[in-house]
Amino acid sequence: MASTTARPIPRTQDLPPEGGFPSIRYKRNIPKKGPSGLTLVLGITAISAYGFYRYFQGKNERHELERENMWSRIHLVPLLQAEHDRDTYRREQAAIKREAEIMKDVPGWKPGESVYHTKRYIPTSIWVIPEKD
Amino acid sequence: MSAPDTQVARPPFIDPTPLPVDIPPVDEVGVTSAPLKSAAFFIGAYCKEYNEDFMLCKNENNDPAHCLKEGRKVTRCAIDIIRKLREHCDKEFETHWKCLDDRNQEYYRCRPLEREFNECVWKSLKLEKVIPGTPQGQEPVHLKTKPYWTMSSMVQLTTLNGGSATL
Repeated sequence: MASTTARPIPRTQDLPPEGGFPSIRYKRNIPKKGPSGLTLVLGITAISAYGFYRYFQGKNERHELERENMWSRIHLVPLLQAEHDRDTYRREQAAIKREAEIMKDVPGWKPGESVYHTKRYIPTSIWVIPEKD
Repeated sequence: MSAPDTQVARPPFIDPTPLPVDIPPVDEVGVTSAPLKSAAFFIGAYCKEYNEDFMLCKNENNDPAHCLKEGRKVTRCAIDIIRKLREHCDKEFETHWKCLDDRNQEYYRCRPLEREFNECVWKSLKLEKVIPGTPQGQEPVHLKTKPYWTMSSMVQLTTLNGGSATL
């Protein structure tokens, strides 16, 4: 083995510069602008609250308008029904007369007799109309 | 293949037979839907008893022959009130129902004219428009000073839809 008392060789070691490395800029460096998050949340809440308030106002009023409309019709029902009843009665009587004329040779035929076994009024569903001449 | 004879379109049959003579004749109201809608609440207020009587009778028996008498009273009463409206508030009545006629027969699009008409009827005939069932403590919709649905909100809509909006 060789002697180990050799002179140490000066070595240059990789060292930080004098005063150390500058700090690394890893943080975002964008200037702050616009309202804060809290302002945004509160603002959007306020706008939505107003919107919902107006929506329900309109909805409730539409409901009342619908009621008004309904009552205007309810007030007219008796009038329109009475007119319609007179017309129906007139046409029914005419139909019964025609039936009596057609069936006059059949003994025991009751013109205008209901075909249903009930005393309740059943609206005529099939109208017998005179043939065209 | 030709269609069977029964399927050939025929003009609708209109029965010319008049009402039997034992039924007293009554004039029909003879007004169209817009004047009827305009006058509906006054017909309802003025003819309340006759109308209720008729509807109770109809509830009893649905036969048209059963309530002819009550029906005549209803019609006569309606003719009477319409005649009175014409006598006292002819101008207001006419402008209001013409407005309704132009505006899809929606009351909320003719409020200013309706207000004039209602005022006139209240002054001359002491009849008031009342909408039954309005929630307690709430302004009736026809009296609202600042309604949500107004004529102008609908004018915008109709112009958007390409309709013509005047007034």
